[in-house]
Amino acid sequence: MRKIVPVLAALAAATAVSACGKADPTLHIYTWADYFKPDIVRRFESVRSCRVVIDTFDSNESMYAKLKAGASGYDLLTPSSYMVSLMHAQGMLRPIDRALVPNLVHVDPEYLKTAVDGTMDHSVPYMISNTGIAYLRSRVADFVPSWAMFGRADLKGRMTLLNDMRETIGAGLKFLGYSLNTTNERELEAARDVILGWRANIAKFENEQYKTGLASGEFLLVHGYSGDILQVRKENPDIAFALPLEGAALSVDDLVIPVTAKEAALAHAFIDFLHDPAVAAENTAFLGYLCPNLESYGLLPPALRNDPAVFIDPELRAKSEVIKDLEAANALYVRIWDEIKSAK
Amino acid sequence: MRRSRLPIWITVGAMVFFYLPIAILVVNSFNASRFGTGWQGFSLRWYAQLLHEPEIWLAARNSLLIAVGATALSVVLGTAAAFALHRFGRSRLQRFHYALVYMPLVVPEILMGISLLMAFAATGVGLGLGTIFLAHVTFCVSFVAMTVLARLQDFDDAVVEAARDLGAGWRVTFRRVVLPMIAPGIAAGALLAFTLSIDDFVITFFVAGPGSTTLPIRIYSMIKFGSPPLINALSSILLLVTFTAVILSQRISSPRR
Repeated sequence: MRKIVPVLAALAAATAVSACGKADPTLHIYTWADYFKPDIVRRFESVRSCRVVIDTFDSNESMYAKLKAGASGYDLLTPSSYMVSLMHAQGMLRPIDRALVPNLVHVDPEYLKTAVDGTMDHSVPYMISNTGIAYLRSRVADFVPSWAMFGRADLKGRMTLLNDMRETIGAGLKFLGYSLNTTNERELEAARDVILGWRANIAKFENEQYKTGLASGEFLLVHGYSGDILQVRKENPDIAFALPLEGAALSVDDLVIPVTAKEAALAHAFIDFLHDPAVAAENTAFLGYLCPNLESYGLLPPALRNDPAVFIDPELRAKSEVIKDLEAANALYVRIWDEIKSAK
Repeated sequence: MRRSRLPIWITVGAMVFFYLPIAILVVNSFNASRFGTGWQGFSLRWYAQLLHEPEIWLAARNSLLIAVGATALSVVLGTAAAFALHRFGRSRLQRFHYALVYMPLVVPEILMGISLLMAFAATGVGLGLGTIFLAHVTFCVSFVAMTVLARLQDFDDAVVEAARDLGAGWRVTFRRVVLPMIAPGIAAGALLAFTLSIDDFVITFFVAGPGSTTLPIRIYSMIKFGSPPLINALSSILLLVTFTAVILSQRISSPRR
């Protein structure tokens, strides 16, 4: 019994420490793991003389479930844009006060044209990543950055497409020059027929093993996420990444402030800090995703600037799109996807 | 008479099924390859890199603090519950009590997590280490109570009567007679509570608040952007701690030789 008391006291003390800090305001961020360069966070702490506490989630859905059930105390979140739409529709987000975030003038206007929240009313874009084609330079002859690669007979059985309804149907739609958020049935059926042609040519639809398969040479060309490819490329320098000239899918994580935030002003200040061009460039270089901050592009090291896995050519980005939540039209995609997966 | 080989093969199959994934994880934590794309030589670099991850250590500190605290409190409450259940098990009230204690063992974790979070949100309790601690005590108490109760069922009440006959007060009887006899059950329950608390993800995920990320939550969220071999190394360490606790608990609770 006597041993328990100090333990409980220690626990109470620890709770007290995390609850106090009235002198130094504390910014609580709920985000993906390793999603801010640690040095940037430390600099913000000293500039604003505050503390930053970062907690992490593993998926948009689990974060949403937790907040929806009543969890509060977070001042800044980084959900993907489709989740931002949903949370906004449910009234869970605060509007962004532009006066507190002067650096928003640096946000890339070309990107905002394709964004879900194009006026930055309740969200500010943080990081963009994209899907594209990765391949082994030494094993794929005459590479052309086009979705048409999946029809190439000489690579038969050595390629993979993502096992993701929206990504893969989107690739077919883009190949045909349609929007990947289309709800036109004829366009979707045309995309289905294209993908059925590719299906006969690929090894399988694959979301995870394609990375290791490419690194080990089992697959020669894969449809994949830029972040994943960046990681395996460190292992096998023969891997190259390209964005198809027809355009591809972009995914974006946004900075948002929940209505329950206690330190909303500090959260605004942090958003402003992240969109300082020098900070944005530093973060992009650290993470390997692109912060859509126009002024920061010129500050990126040339190696990154020329890397299609990080820096998307503005012309190609204009052709690329963010996958949007289509609500009722999702059923149409599910049907087309079923037809693709079940065809003999 | 020839005995069937079938049980052996089923046992071997089950062991492979249970332990092969763990073995692969542990082996990969020593793999020099960053991406697990085949064996690239033995390396301790992931363990070395762990030393430079302050957020992981903060999460580990949180986990340990909660596990130790929750174990301590649930041992006291669980043992008391076991005594009540053992002494007055026949009464209606205690049958109800038994059902209450038993409930957390069978209620799905996700249900418990969400309902605890909703209860905390409704009562305005700020989420943090305190709420995780309370949630862990809630389910640990049941495991301790059941373990101690099992021990009490073999307990010979005549010994207590003998002690009282010989003039010992209830305090002395408890300290010198009862406690030493049930101590192995309490220790086993404590270790069980500790392992459950330090591993728990689902309930913790829901009741964790700002600044109280625990090790399992940290590991899980590292899967998306983090480095896979780092997770392997961290999981191997966690496995070592868990296995040690389980083996100790079995040692202690097995009958005295």
